[in-house]
Amino acid sequence: MDLSFTPAEEEFRAELRSWLSAHIPQEWTRPGFWESLDDQESFALRRDWERDKADAGFAGIQWPTEFGGRGGTPGMKAIYDEEMVRAHAPRTVNPLGLTFLAPTVMAIGTDAQRKDIIAPMLRNEVIWCQGFSEPGAGSDLAALSTKGVRDGDDFVVNGQKVWTTNAVHGDKIFTLVRTEPGSERHRGISMLLIDMNQPGVTARPLRQMSGASEFGEVFFDDARVPAADCLGEIGDGWRTAMLLLSFERGASGISQYTEFRRQYDEIVEVARKLGRDRDPVIRDDLARVLTELECLRLHSMHVLTQTEQGRDLGFEASMTKLQWSETFQDLWEVYDRILGEDATLDTLQEGTDLRPLHAQAMWSRSVTIWGGSSQVQRTITAERVLGLPR
Amino acid sequence: MYFALTEEQQDFATAVRDYLAERFDLAAVREVVEAGDSDGNPPALWTAAGEQGWLAVTVPEEHDGLGLGMVEAQVIARELGAGVAPGPWRGTVLAAEAIRLAGSDAQRAAWLPRIAAGAAIGGYTTRGSAAAGLPVVEYGAVADLVVAPSEPDLPGLSLVTGATATPVGSYDGTTRLDALVPAGDGVEPLPGADVEVGRQLTDRATVLVAADLAGIAREALTRTVAYDRDREQFGVPVGSFQAIKHALADLHVGVTMAEHAVLYAAHALDTTGTGGIGRAEAELAVAVAKAKASEAALRSTEAMIQYHGGIGYTWEHEAHLFYKRARRLAGQYGDVATQRERIASLTI
Repeated sequence: MDLSFTPAEEEFRAELRSWLSAHIPQEWTRPGFWESLDDQESFALRRDWERDKADAGFAGIQWPTEFGGRGGTPGMKAIYDEEMVRAHAPRTVNPLGLTFLAPTVMAIGTDAQRKDIIAPMLRNEVIWCQGFSEPGAGSDLAALSTKGVRDGDDFVVNGQKVWTTNAVHGDKIFTLVRTEPGSERHRGISMLLIDMNQPGVTARPLRQMSGASEFGEVFFDDARVPAADCLGEIGDGWRTAMLLLSFERGASGISQYTEFRRQYDEIVEVARKLGRDRDPVIRDDLARVLTELECLRLHSMHVLTQTEQGRDLGFEASMTKLQWSETFQDLWEVYDRILGEDATLDTLQEGTDLRPLHAQAMWSRSVTIWGGSSQVQRTITAERVLGLPR
Repeated sequence: MYFALTEEQQDFATAVRDYLAERFDLAAVREVVEAGDSDGNPPALWTAAGEQGWLAVTVPEEHDGLGLGMVEAQVIARELGAGVAPGPWRGTVLAAEAIRLAGSDAQRAAWLPRIAAGAAIGGYTTRGSAAAGLPVVEYGAVADLVVAPSEPDLPGLSLVTGATATPVGSYDGTTRLDALVPAGDGVEPLPGADVEVGRQLTDRATVLVAADLAGIAREALTRTVAYDRDREQFGVPVGSFQAIKHALADLHVGVTMAEHAVLYAAHALDTTGTGGIGRAEAELAVAVAKAKASEAALRSTEAMIQYHGGIGYTWEHEAHLFYKRARRLAGQYGDVATQRERIASLTI
C-alpha cells in the first residue's frame, strides 16, 4: 500500500498550483460568478483562459508529447483533475473533444487527421461537439436514423441530433451517420467529422430545467462532408464509437469527489445557519452522503492504481459513474430536506444567496441521465461484470 | 499510488479461502450451528488457524509472530466472514493486540508466543467490566484470557484469566457467546492501558468486524448471482429480469465500496501516528468502513434470501447463516446509525 504520488508528480502539482493561483482571478471563485455571466461572455472567457493554460503546458496531461501533450503519468492526470477543482478553475469548453475525440484520433486517425485535429483542439481554435443522441435514439443509440448519402467525394447528411453539449458554440461535430441505405442497428454507420459552419447545419440551444443552456439540437439539412473526413472505416462507425466511449474508462472520479466534497461543506454551512445541523435525521442523512463520498475518493485511488498497473478497467467504469452520480444526487436531495419549507426560496432569511446552490441541485437531476443513464449502467454492470444473462 | 493488496497479501487471502473451501465448508459450519451445546470451536479449524499463521498475524516477530498489520488481519477476517467460519479468531487477535499495545514485558512474553501458536484462546469485549461482570463475550467459555474494561467508564483494561461462564443464547449459530463473571484472583491489569490504547483497540475491533461483514456481503452476492444465472422461471433464467439485475448491480457497487472502505481503514490504522494518515482521518475511515460494510452486508444478505425465492427462506439453505451473522455483527461496536453520528460529529 502506498497512497503517495512520486516526487515528479508532486513537483507537477506544485507547478500547476502556482500557475493556477496566478491565473485565476479572485472574483471567478465567488459562488455564482459563472452563472451571473451571459452564455457568450462566459464561453469566450473560458475559451481564452483554457488556451493560455494549454500554452503554459497544462493541457493534454497524459497525451504523448508528439501530439502536443505533456507526456505525463496517470498520477499527474489525477493531480490535474483534483487541482483544477481546488483552484475553482473554469470548466473546459472542449470536453467532448478532449476526453473522447482526441484519444480516438490518436489511436485510429489518419496522419492528416492527427495533424489537423489535435493541436487546434488543444488551443481551443476548434470547438468539438458530439453528434450521437437523436430524438429517437437516446439510451438505444443504435436506433439512430441520421442519413448520409454518397455524392461524389462527399456525403450529404440529413437528420437531427439532440442533447449536444455546446451545440451553439461548436465548430465541428463528430457524428454517427447511417451511410449504408437500408442498414439496421449497429451496421452501416460511419463517424463523420462535419463542419458546423455551413448552411446545411443549424444549431439551436435547448433550455434546461436549471434555466441554463449548456446543450442544444443540431439539424442537418443537406449538410456536406468530404468522405475523407470519416474517423475509422466507412461503415465501421459503431466500432469507432465504442472505442471512443472507452476513453471514459480512465476517469477516476477524483474531480467529482473534490467538487462534491466542497459542496458538502457548503451545504453543512447552510444547515448550520438554519440550526438544522443538530437535527439527528439531517445528521444521519449528511453522514450517509459523506460515507459515499469517502467511498468515491477511495474508488478513485483504486481506479488510478489499476490504470498505473496497466490494467483495463473495462466495464468497471459503469460503477464509477453510478457511484458519483447517485451520490451527487443524494447530496442535493439532503440539501432540499435541510431547507425544508423554504426549499425553493432564492435567499435565506439572513440574506445568503441560495441560487448558486439551487443551480447545482437542479443539475443533479441530469447526471443520472447523460453519459449512460443509471439504468443503462446497472444493466451493463449486471451483464458484463456480474455475468447475468442478457 | 498503490491502493490494493500486494501479491503476498492476495496469496494470504487465497490460502485462507482455499483452506475453508477444502477443509471447512458450509457443511462443516452447519454442524457447528446444529450442535448448539458444543463449544463452537472445532479443533481442526483452530489447529489450522495456529499452523497457518492466522493467529500470529499481528504478533511481533520477537514473540514468534508474523509481525504484520491490520491490512493482513483484515484479509483473514474477510475470508472468515465469507466462509461464515466459527471460532474465536477475532477475539484472540484482539487480545494479542491489547497485550502488544498495553501489556507488561512479562505479559507479552507469557502470552504472545502462545497466542501466535494457537496454544491460548483470547477474547475481547468493550461491554461491562472485569469488576462488574462481562455480559456478552464471544467464545467467553473457551477463552484462556479475555481483555475487558477494568471498571465501568474508566480507561483501564484488564486481562481476565479466570471466570465463571454462562452461555448467552443468540440466533447467529456461527458464533458462541457467553456471560462471564471474573474470579477475584483471575484478573490482572494491563499496565499500559489508557484512553488512546482503548481507542486503538476499539478501532481495530471495529475494522475486523467490518472486514468480516465485507466478506459476508461479497459471498452472499456471489452466491445469489450464481443461483440467478441458472434458476429458470417463465422459461428463462431469473437473472435475466431487469428488476433483479439492477438490484444485484447496485449491491455489487455497494459491496465494492465497502471493500475499499475496509481496506483503507485497516491501512489507516497501520500508518496513523507514523507520518501517514492522521488520527482524525483514521477515525473517520474506521467509522466509514463500519457504516458501509454493515449496510452492504445487511442489504446483500437480505437480497440473498429474496433472490433465491422460497428456498432462500428454508433452514436447509445457507442464506440464513449469512443473514444472521450479518445481523449480529452489523450492531457490533456501533451500528450504522451510531457510526453515522460519529461521521457527522467529525464532518459537521
